[in-house]
Amino acid sequence: MAHAATAHEAHHDHPTGWRRWVLSTNHKDIGTMYLIFGIVAGLIGGALSIAMRLELQEPGLQYFTNPQTYNVFVTGHGLIMVFFVVMPALIGGFGNWFVPIMIGAPDMAFPRMNNVSFWLLPAAFGLLLISMFVEGAPGSTGFGGGWTVYPPLSTSGHPGPALDFGILALHIAGASSILGAINFITTILNMRAPGMTIHRMPLFAWAMLVTAFLLLLSLPVLAGAITMLLTDRNFGTTFFDPAGGGDPVLYQHLFWFFGHPEVYIMILPAFGIVSHIISTFSKKPVFGYLGMAYAMVAIGAVGFVVWAHHMYTAGLSLKTQQYFVFATMVIAVPTGVKIFSWIATMWGGSMRFTSPMIWAIGFIFLFTVGGVTGVVLANAGIDRQLHNTYYVVAHFHYVLSLGAVFAIFAAWYYWFPKITGYVFSEFLAKLHFWIAFIGANVLFFPMHFSGLAGMPRHYVDYPDAFAGWNRISSIGSYIFAFGLLVFFYGCWQAFSRKQAAGENPWGAGATTLEWTLSSPPPYHQFETLPRITGSEH
Amino acid sequence: MNRFWSRAALAALALGLAAPASAGTGQPSPWQMNLQNPVTEVAARTGALHDGVLWIITAITLFVLALLVYVVVRFNEKANPVPSKTTHHTGLEIAWTGIPILILVFIAIPSFSLLRYQIDAPKPDITVKAIGKQWYWTYEYPADQGGGFGFDSLMLSREDAQKANQPALLAVDNELVLPAGKTILVQVVGGDVIHNFAVPSFGVRIDAIPGRLNQTWFKTDKEGMYYGQCSRLCGANHAFMPIAIRIVSPERYAAWLVEAKKKFASNADDSVKVASLSRVD
Amino acid sequence: MADAHTKNHDYHIVDPSPWPFVGSVSAFVMAVGAVMWMKAMLIGGIKAGPVVFGAGLIGVLYTMAAWWSDVTREAERGGYHTRVVQISHRYGMIMFIASEVMFFVAWFWAYFDASLFAGEAKQFIRAEFTGGSWPPKGIEVFDPWHLPLLNTLILLTSGTTVTWAHHALLHDDREGLKWGLILTCVLGAIFSVVQVYEYQHAAFGFKGHIYGATFFMATGFHGFHVFVGTIFLIVCLARALKGHFTPKQHLGFEFAAWYWHFVDVVWLFLFVAIYLWGSHWGAAAAAGH
Ligand code: HEA
Ligand code: HEA
Ligand code: CUA
Ligand SMILES: [Cu+2]
Repeated sequence: MAHAATAHEAHHDHPTGWRRWVLSTNHKDIGTMYLIFGIVAGLIGGALSIAMRLELQEPGLQYFTNPQTYNVFVTGHGLIMVFFVVMPALIGGFGNWFVPIMIGAPDMAFPRMNNVSFWLLPAAFGLLLISMFVEGAPGSTGFGGGWTVYPPLSTSGHPGPALDFGILALHIAGASSILGAINFITTILNMRAPGMTIHRMPLFAWAMLVTAFLLLLSLPVLAGAITMLLTDRNFGTTFFDPAGGGDPVLYQHLFWFFGHPEVYIMILPAFGIVSHIISTFSKKPVFGYLGMAYAMVAIGAVGFVVWAHHMYTAGLSLKTQQYFVFATMVIAVPTGVKIFSWIATMWGGSMRFTSPMIWAIGFIFLFTVGGVTGVVLANAGIDRQLHNTYYVVAHFHYVLSLGAVFAIFAAWYYWFPKITGYVFSEFLAKLHFWIAFIGANVLFFPMHFSGLAGMPRHYVDYPDAFAGWNRISSIGSYIFAFGLLVFFYGCWQAFSRKQAAGENPWGAGATTLEWTLSSPPPYHQFETLPRITGSEH
Repeated sequence: MNRFWSRAALAALALGLAAPASAGTGQPSPWQMNLQNPVTEVAARTGALHDGVLWIITAITLFVLALLVYVVVRFNEKANPVPSKTTHHTGLEIAWTGIPILILVFIAIPSFSLLRYQIDAPKPDITVKAIGKQWYWTYEYPADQGGGFGFDSLMLSREDAQKANQPALLAVDNELVLPAGKTILVQVVGGDVIHNFAVPSFGVRIDAIPGRLNQTWFKTDKEGMYYGQCSRLCGANHAFMPIAIRIVSPERYAAWLVEAKKKFASNADDSVKVASLSRVD
Repeated sequence: MADAHTKNHDYHIVDPSPWPFVGSVSAFVMAVGAVMWMKAMLIGGIKAGPVVFGAGLIGVLYTMAAWWSDVTREAERGGYHTRVVQISHRYGMIMFIASEVMFFVAWFWAYFDASLFAGEAKQFIRAEFTGGSWPPKGIEVFDPWHLPLLNTLILLTSGTTVTWAHHALLHDDREGLKWGLILTCVLGAIFSVVQVYEYQHAAFGFKGHIYGATFFMATGFHGFHVFVGTIFLIVCLARALKGHFTPKQHLGFEFAAWYWHFVDVVWLFLFVAIYLWGSHWGAAAAAGH
């Protein structure tokens, strides 16, 4: 029932030109801006990593005559990939685009706040970029203490303003994410279409709901931690300085209390996406829907109590380490439920190997590889040999660069027709997959070996014995990067071919609400709310 | 035996790359694919647990891969044109929750005992102190154990390392010399920022944090050179502050002590003593 | 039935707005200015930090004022805030407060890390610095039964006055609403004044000591929240005087009240943990370590 007072509102202006984007209160436009932002940041973060791989291709100092600059690149790469690529693409981009549509809502709960969530990101990114060009450690620019920003290297070690810019960048990015989280939670809890009970809600919406709670509850703790850094650096407090009664390890606890949930923040949306793709192209509903949903809830909840597995070498007591070993391993159980339920979804299905599907299947396998090495690291006793080696780097790139990023591309190819209305060349999308799959494995698998052999992270140069696998890794990174050229060519081609995709290019398996709309969907979808009947899973 | 199998597993994992990946002792060797050869009980046990877990995760990964290959072959559009509608199977769901739990418990038991073995240090014969600084290590030998001196240990340049016939980036000017067959406790602190004292062949890795006295221990019967590297990002030259430990016979150690006391006399300092802790856990 | 372009639901499809963009640019300027200020950076030989920061701050404040006036306008006229939209607003405010709670968790964590482990042998520099006790040696803490107790009573009373205002509003008693709000604001202001007075008489400093760091940052952030909450209530008072709010719909007021209670509860935790336990009980506990 429309209120008399609001009936005229439907004809409010549908802005065009720059106003459409800058002043936007439309979840799809904002989602698009997030995606573009993610791609731009991905190029910058990727470029930094290629520079790192160029340097590491051979022992000795090739390009980074000042080793500190290498550290700055690593730090920038980590922060950009985490905060400005994966999160904006998965949450801001695909989340914004499809959560409202999937639950049958006309927009997000707080459309104006949605836009500030987006616009705070370029502000934060700007600060981070400035940070790389102003003095950090004496005699060099940028902050080179790693994305975890441990003190005292981040307090006494970097007197220049670089890290202050970095800290404020994180504050603003964090504020953006907290507002976004509030928006998602409210939208999902309060704006589901009639008949869409929480237990009928598509899994991507479930994933975003859990993710949003993780953001909401973990980011403020990071904000507190980096505020302490800021006051330690500039106002003489001693939170992390033992000489004033402080404790450097306190920072590590606070950071990882955020940091571990953060890694699930980056993977849960990916889980949601993969569920949809697997179900669509198996032409079967998701297997064990409730188990899938509550597995994510379990991952999110347990994810809050495992943080110190990043601190096994900090000198924690035996009992503390034992607890964190135990708690960390627990997470493998709900994650296994997800892996096996995806396979069970395909089991008995009638699978079509479209490009999104092969990216999703690639995801399942590569994420498993990354996940099981996480279980190795979870054992504090073994982590004693592997902490801060390339084994850890291998682990987290398998779950991030081959997990989260593969899911981003799967989602891209899945929803590209819906978002743009155009068909993406299946051939190019698959070519991209195979280049990326080979490249990424050549890039990251050998890192397990160098890590086991003892090669530490954050090293600009290494003993000659590590040269072999490093060279292979570097070659892999060039292959992976080449795949991006195919990706961009494919995008360009799709936009110039303008081949119309139609409402539902994927056929009978695609059952969620976005496939009932035109491509691209109308500026305001669901002027009349859809009514959901029966269970859709 | 164990070692043979773990190599075989790794070789298989390398997807036919199967390079002659023999591990180094005390330092990495080219194309090495597994942990450095252990020379302490801790490192040996750690390696054994790692190899065991590697078996398990390899099996799990291959199992997942096999299932994926199977569904791809068996349930593609051509092979199975009409999809089933099954979305539940209680037995299966219980199995894939329960079996992983069993596997994890199976891993956790040896994992806990290894952890206890690593952390509960036995009574030491010798205690030394390692202080991480930007960008070198300072080692101190307490007076009550025949020491009473300390010295800095800096990395040799590539050229000097080559001249000394030692591996580049691992060799140092003054090594930490210690005797074989003795339990050695290392107290580790950070002098400025956090560093990390890591020696792979000993299975040792502990943060050197300012203001916090951490400790680790090792005992080896094998004389020789053992290298490690700072494993906590500590600034510009983080890659250039290796740890080099020379394990010698107790007799040579005694002789070295006398010599070192003279050599590092200028560094002698009454304040060089080991902090006493009632209990560090 | 409605045609495809007629809105047929009760959600609020918000008009395009400049404030998100303006606010973000201002936040950026403010952050740049903050760093310039903290690091005394020069632009053309002058310390422009405070000016840049100030410009950004004005932008942020202007954005807030403009944005929220838009919201109140939408609430009071337009009829945009339907029942379902109001539920959204409630969710939003609850989530916001939840995130604030987690922010305080960080400060309490720092406080307990310092107070519970003041004498941990392993942290030898800290143990020496604090003398192994909490409050640390040489720190003369506030008597909790003096100003802190007074402030506790003030805040608790303000919690009742804001509830009084709420009841008055529900019964359409505008006078009661007005006076309830005025009293609450005054009590909030008194709290802040007492807090500032207490700060000025602290026997310990902000710099160089973990006691000062944890004490001032935790109570300081609380104080800042009292300040924000008071402004929130003042805005509500102003709106009440303008005739806003009805017994049925007064979310702005409710949120101010929720926020105020949240601030109140944080204070109770601060009072118990820092002022009470951290002085007497704390010293006893540390001695038993
Ligand atoms: C998307 C991001 C992501 C994800 C999902 C994970 C998932 C996991 N991670 Fe990872 N991790 C990172 C990102 C991620 N991690 C990052 C970025 C770092 C480094 C940070 C830094 O220092 O810079 C890190 C570091 C890290 C460490 C610290 C290492 C160190 O510094 O020494 C540890 C230790 O416990 C760990 C463990 C785990 C575990 C147990 C999981 C589990 O959730 C994995 C669960 C999945 C599976 C196990 C596979 C599927 C399951 C089955 C097929 C069922 C059967 C399996 C079994 C019975 C085993 N991770
Ligand atoms: C999501 C996270 C992510 C991703 C994708 C990557 C991608 C890559 N990373 Fe890494 N990396 C980290 C997160 C990530 N990384 C983190 C957190 C650290 C630790 C930092 C620290 O210690 O401080 C790290 C550290 C790290 C190191 C260790 C450095 C050291 O310790 O000395 C190395 C070394 O080779 C490396 C290499 C690479 C390479 C070659 C890629 C290549 O895969 C990159 C190729 C580029 C791309 C693949 C671009 C991808 C583009 C997009 C994702 C946009 C797509 C968007 C849409 C379609 C909408 N990274
Ligand atoms: Cu010292 Cu890294
Ligand atoms: Cu973690």
